[in-house]
Amino acid sequence: MTRVPSVDWVALAPVVAPLLGVVLVLVVDAVAPRAARLARVHDALAVAGLVAAGAAVTWLAVDGAARSTVCVPGGDGEAGLVLPSCSYVVSDLTLTLQAIAVVGALGCLLLAVDGPAAADRTPHHVLLLSAVAGVAALAGARDLATLVIALETASLPAVGLVALRRDAQGAQAGITLLLTAVASLGLLLLGVALIHAATGELHLDRIATALSGPDLSGAVLAVAGLGTVLGVAGIGFKLSAVPFHLWTPDTYAGAPLPIAAFLAVVSKTAGLAAVVVLLALGLPALAGSWGLVVAVLAAVTVTVGNLVALRQRVAVRLLAWSTVAQAGWVLLPLGAAVDAASVPTAVAASVGYLVAYAAATLAVFTVVVLLARHHPAGEEHTLADYRGLARREPVAAAVLGFGLACLAGLPPGVMGLVAKLVAVRPLVDNGVWVIAVIAAVNVVLGVLYYLRWGALLVAAPGAGDGAPVTWRVRPAEGLVLGGAAALCVAFSVLPQVVAGVLPGVLR
Amino acid sequence: MNAELLDGLGWLLPVIVGVPLATAVLLLTWRTLSDRAAALVGAVVATAVAVGAVLAALAAAPFDPAGYGLEVDGSWIPALGVRFHLGLDGISVPLVLLTALLALLVCWHLVRSDAAPARRGLTACVLAVEGGAMGTFTALDLILFFVAFETVLVPMWFVIANWGDDTQPERSTASGATLPGGPEARRDAANRFILFTALGSAVMLLGLLLVALRTGTTDLVELTERSGAGMSTGVQVVAAVLIVLGLAVKAPMWPLHTWLPPAHTIAPTGGSVLLAGVLLKMGTYGLARLALPVLPDGMREIAPVLGALGVAGILWGGLACLAERDLKRLVAFSSVAHMGFVLLGIASMTPQGLQGALFANIAHGLITGVLFLVAGAVKDRYHTTDLVLLGSGLRDRLPRLGWLLAFGAVAGLGLPGLAGFWGEILAVVGSWRGEDALAGLARPLAVLATVGTVIAAAYLLRVLFLLWHGPRLLPGTHATTTEVDATGSEVAVVMPLVLATLALGLLPWLLLDVTGPAVRVLLSGGVLS
Repeated sequence: MTRVPSVDWVALAPVVAPLLGVVLVLVVDAVAPRAARLARVHDALAVAGLVAAGAAVTWLAVDGAARSTVCVPGGDGEAGLVLPSCSYVVSDLTLTLQAIAVVGALGCLLLAVDGPAAADRTPHHVLLLSAVAGVAALAGARDLATLVIALETASLPAVGLVALRRDAQGAQAGITLLLTAVASLGLLLLGVALIHAATGELHLDRIATALSGPDLSGAVLAVAGLGTVLGVAGIGFKLSAVPFHLWTPDTYAGAPLPIAAFLAVVSKTAGLAAVVVLLALGLPALAGSWGLVVAVLAAVTVTVGNLVALRQRVAVRLLAWSTVAQAGWVLLPLGAAVDAASVPTAVAASVGYLVAYAAATLAVFTVVVLLARHHPAGEEHTLADYRGLARREPVAAAVLGFGLACLAGLPPGVMGLVAKLVAVRPLVDNGVWVIAVIAAVNVVLGVLYYLRWGALLVAAPGAGDGAPVTWRVRPAEGLVLGGAAALCVAFSVLPQVVAGVLPGVLR
Repeated sequence: MNAELLDGLGWLLPVIVGVPLATAVLLLTWRTLSDRAAALVGAVVATAVAVGAVLAALAAAPFDPAGYGLEVDGSWIPALGVRFHLGLDGISVPLVLLTALLALLVCWHLVRSDAAPARRGLTACVLAVEGGAMGTFTALDLILFFVAFETVLVPMWFVIANWGDDTQPERSTASGATLPGGPEARRDAANRFILFTALGSAVMLLGLLLVALRTGTTDLVELTERSGAGMSTGVQVVAAVLIVLGLAVKAPMWPLHTWLPPAHTIAPTGGSVLLAGVLLKMGTYGLARLALPVLPDGMREIAPVLGALGVAGILWGGLACLAERDLKRLVAFSSVAHMGFVLLGIASMTPQGLQGALFANIAHGLITGVLFLVAGAVKDRYHTTDLVLLGSGLRDRLPRLGWLLAFGAVAGLGLPGLAGFWGEILAVVGSWRGEDALAGLARPLAVLATVGTVIAAAYLLRVLFLLWHGPRLLPGTHATTTEVDATGSEVAVVMPLVLATLALGLLPWLLLDVTGPAVRVLLSGGVLS
């Protein structure tokens, strides 16, 4: 008997709202194609879609009811009572990840509206909102099929966004990203298929139950383990974890800057969401195995990202490598998982780090976008071009300096310090000392280049600099600048936000 | 003392931490403020903070029996159990007062140094360092301590990197390698400082987290009461190694001290004073406040190593000083030696040793302050601190500066009657009696440390000899400099330190009575002799 499962649209509102925005933007475009005077309508619809998604997330969080939808009923199975399983669950985890994605996407959208998006409003807004819908769905996805489809919905539009810059470099970046996406999809599908083959289940909670049984054959565990490794590798591309990171610097440098910010904030959120959903919810029983894999992956990612970032002179490339390193930091706590019981704290630490990372990265990217727009070298500008910025643009320099301090994890960026502390805590708790020491060393590597950049802001302007251009900050950009800075400051004063995400049961 | 009058002054603690930090932010953002006005604002705020610190100290008195005379406690990061818990007891009061005094003097010194560029930023950095140090010395929560500990890093890095001396000549090391001079030396010194100290902090954080996770609390009062209960010796040893490593970088302990000489040499006068008088103390304070009472078993295991490395620092620093020509580098190396005594005193885990360590902490802050201020004044005049170039008869040419330098040197070699004497003698006595912690090393270390005091006498007498009776100058070396003796304001900045050195030297119980009861509490789980 097949049944159409009932759908709780309220629970799905964070996914549906951006999609509604997509539809409306397309309708307006169909009614009045290429109408320049409707540009603001496009923008308003896209912003409204994200704001509505944000409002839905807020409402669901305040409401606090445990919601889930698209469920298959339980019943008496062969092995006893089977609980109903749902494909989409609203939980603290879901809402937190959705909130990060929506806020980050809103920032990137506002940065892009009069920049790279100006020439292609419809495609830009449609692609961006679709990707956000994908991340929102991914955060709530609780079965393998939904997971894969949502992850692809979140990542494929990014290819289009990157290619919006219609020149050779943009095309190159788009192709790189596309090939990466396809390759990673292949790995992920293979991994997911193996997990399914091993357990015979699609729903993550049932997979978890199946794998935690007392009498599992070695073959089942081997197949599931192989599937896990392949799945992690597939998602590793999205997170740009070393050795799956090679696309990152070229894509960041080739993409329009607000899109690079989108990759850094929203796509990273998607990657972490996929890792957490797959590993923590579906495979907690195998935590002992994937914990080690993730730990090594994270340690290598942090180290390589930091070491290469140390040598970068072009601001965007430095940021690209720094996001590689930060992706490693996001993954580090998951590497501390040694058994099913240690998974929830590890996930909370990862997501907490992601919160801090997203806020700080958005702040830094905003200033980089502004400087690129006012600099003859554009996106190719180097760190040296920040020399003396504090004299010319004190507010932007202050925001950049604070954002960098947060990324480095040094006061005044208390938010970043607490995030690093939260990330290292599970490693210490579970005695993963090698990785913990590697993390400690990496704090210092990061400090070096973030501080070097920060120091340039207050350095005396060099002799060779041309006449400085006075910045004209657009209202939308000013909003992002102020908003990101406010988040960084607020989280620094009240680090509880970073340390206290996901207090309850992981579901 | 005046219990009713000074009751309910707990709010003073967040004020002496927060006001310098807030003023630093204000100075950084107030772009139209002139340099001189900014320095004045800084000096006035530092004065107000010093008054607040004195009031807080009075309110926290009496210090017998031990306890936190002033305390504030509020929720901060409930998810990690971290509280905004500040308190003042006999261990912290002397360091809070020292920090307030040094910051005050440095700020007034800045008001008078018209030649220094961009004093607005420098004043802001000095105040930020003061605020971070105040937080470190009053924090009663592991993580809050760590945050405050880290707060001083970035401002101090800027002090060295932006206002440091970029006219250092190239130097060649004994091994024949050439060290760069000029701006590159400055950048190198600043980076070395932050690399070493940030790595130390990161390692310390691992230890702090281990303690927090195994005990379930980050509150220092509770952890001190438990005195290691709840942690196996193995856990304690691991945590102690991590925490001591982190703090030893800051202290600094030989062989982790190599960031110190360049940082001290290149930092501007005020920066050197704060570095020596405040930052180094954060390391040793952490050992006394955190490591000893929280991890007594772990500390007992590693005490012999800590003590031996402390003594190695005493000897190595002293020997380096014997060969050093540059006055600022010499003071820096002597700092390594003096802090070696502090480490030895702490490692002895005896009341005498710990008392001595805390005393030597304060004495070193005062005496090194005198020496760096004088060295800075000499540098302003001759643009060098090379003892041989400064040459003979400095005392005759500049009698006031010469006398101040002589005073600093004599105090530094530990002459009885001056502050430097008591801390070191107590540390040595503590080591002699510290057989419980130092085992067989107790007496050899005490003897070697005494040898160190002889070396200290030798190198400081050498300084005096060079400056009073040194070889004749090459003609023309000073032809362009007009020789002006210490001005009234320069003397006024140094005098409080001189007077405090004398006072503590003649009346040591002023300090010993304050720290004594608290020391007994810190060691209550450890060795009581």
